[in-house]
Amino acid sequence: MAGVLIDPSRAPVPFGRWAVPQLFEELRRPETDGRRRALASLCDLMHDPERIYQTVNGGFLEQCRDLLMDEDPSVRTETCELLNLLTGHAIGRQALLSSSLLPPLSQLLDDDSSSCRTGAHHVLNCLAQLPAAAEALLSLVPKLMLKLGEEEEEEAQVLLLSTVSYCSRMDPLPALSYDGVSLLGHKLSHRSPNIRREAAAAMMALSVLDDGKRQVCEGALLPVLVHLLQDDNLEVQTNAAGVLMYTLILTTGKQLCLELGIIPVLLHLVKRDEQAEEKVRKALILYSLRALTSLAEAPDGRHLLLEQLPLLVRRSEAPEEDQDIRQAAQTAIRVINRAS
Amino acid sequence: MAFVSHSQRDGIYTFSSRPRPVENRSTYREPPSEQTPSNYGNIMYDRRVVRGNTYAQHIIPLTVQPDPAEIQRQQEIRRRAVTRKHAREQFRLKTPEALQGRKHIDVQTELYLEELSDVIVATDIECQTDAFLDKPATPLFIPAKSGKDVETQIEEGELFDFDREVQPVLEVLVGKTIEQSLLEVMEEEELACLRAQQRAFEELRNNELAEVQRLQEQERRHREEKVRRIAEQKEVLKKQRETAEKIAARAYTQQYLADLLPVVFTSLRSHGYFYDPVERDIETNFFPWLMAEVNNSLDKRYVARELLDNVIHDVARKRLERFKELETQSDRSDT
Repeated sequence: MAGVLIDPSRAPVPFGRWAVPQLFEELRRPETDGRRRALASLCDLMHDPERIYQTVNGGFLEQCRDLLMDEDPSVRTETCELLNLLTGHAIGRQALLSSSLLPPLSQLLDDDSSSCRTGAHHVLNCLAQLPAAAEALLSLVPKLMLKLGEEEEEEAQVLLLSTVSYCSRMDPLPALSYDGVSLLGHKLSHRSPNIRREAAAAMMALSVLDDGKRQVCEGALLPVLVHLLQDDNLEVQTNAAGVLMYTLILTTGKQLCLELGIIPVLLHLVKRDEQAEEKVRKALILYSLRALTSLAEAPDGRHLLLEQLPLLVRRSEAPEEDQDIRQAAQTAIRVINRAS
Repeated sequence: MAFVSHSQRDGIYTFSSRPRPVENRSTYREPPSEQTPSNYGNIMYDRRVVRGNTYAQHIIPLTVQPDPAEIQRQQEIRRRAVTRKHAREQFRLKTPEALQGRKHIDVQTELYLEELSDVIVATDIECQTDAFLDKPATPLFIPAKSGKDVETQIEEGELFDFDREVQPVLEVLVGKTIEQSLLEVMEEEELACLRAQQRAFEELRNNELAEVQRLQEQERRHREEKVRRIAEQKEVLKKQRETAEKIAARAYTQQYLADLLPVVFTSLRSHGYFYDPVERDIETNFFPWLMAEVNNSLDKRYVARELLDNVIHDVARKRLERFKELETQSDRSDT
């Protein structure tokens, strides 16, 4: 009875506050099997914030560094899983940032095993959602852009694109200088909606800078984006509308888009949709209104929009509960009437 | 520590205290500062415990202060014992010392002599048991049957009801699992909440950023437009000025060159550019020939005159020479 493990895939968990230190001790042992089981038990424990505090304060993260360079790929994957759970809490994220675990993680991106790579991407993604961490990861962006071209797996691609978009929101320059716009342009027409969504989000972050806007216009990406405005997935539509909102600020963007007949599409998006839930469409409506405002500065656009003024007026008035949408619609109407 | 209780009931004195271990105290006692933990001493090595024979013990007198008469009596007894001992020592008969060259030896004088020796007579005797014989197996001891045979059997469902007993175990198992999963779900929900908040903020930020950039671009366009218009105006003004200057220059030159034509004709005429051809022909062809012929004929005359001159000159010279010769001849002839 004593020698029988209840769950053979997990190491027995010591009681109370010995759990975490003892399991980490077991991780020092040379047998791979023992390490895998100890890691599985640790992953179970890490859902409790107290354990995370213990791990972080006990200085066990340095051991994770050796584990990340272990020979067995499943050990590496499990360690990534562990780090993932750590990033779920603020102390974990801070500890990961201040520890020296980022170089081994970036080395794992070149790993042979795809689950390891996915795990590493997951950790970096969760980390990048913290602004301070996104700043720290900016130095990794060149490597990530390189991986963008090489990576095959869809899940890893989604995570990679998401990480790049978070980092680019802090500073778009590194991604832009590494040919970001053209790489992302390829991804915009991928068959998976997740990849399209993340690529469009990253492109939105890149098009904040003037250089990015120019590259989007030159790269013949505008037809693709206009096509994405009519995509099935709401998030893809929202992100595409965001990119267009930024790009239309440039005069060349306005001209190119007017040739593509973008105004009816945008007006259709702004129209009140009774079936859909208005709250989730808020971002889409806001971005479309801003895009229309930019278009109204061009004379051709203004002509077209003058006819459609009632639609916008409806959005700017009292039945609309959301203050932001109302303001955006009022700005658009103002620009159309050239009152400003 | 020692709960001393003494109650005086009908004049009888009683004392009782709880048993306590003997404390090790130093000889020169200080008041016990701490109650715990006192070192327990071994009672066997305690100097205060009385040892040995107690028959002839010196009983401690009841009163601490000894009576002075008692002290004197004690001293008297002691002194007398000492003198008695002395006297006994003096009057005891002793064997005189041995003479020189002799030695005293002890001799037995009893009837039966004993051999006195230090060596104790000892003999060795040994004994050995026989080797063990194999013992035959003891027959099983089967006690005689006595009493009644009784049997019992636990049927299913009699000891305990599984469904009822398993409930607490199940509750714990399920409860722990659900607790863990609730933790994980709450974690994910928290993360999702954070992410949703972040996303809402990002949307608003993007919105405002786009508006700001649009206004910036508009401002830039207006500014450029303004600069361009000002430049255009400057160009226009410059062109106007140039045109005015051109017109003024044109008017002046026109006025300056108004009477150019008659002056030109007059000057040409005066320079002889309008000529009569016959006159010109005579001038160009005839006159030079005429002048040349005139020159020729004049030249001929001159040549003739020169010849003549030369002849005359020759003659004159010859005459002169002749005369000079004559002079010399005359001179010579004179002398």
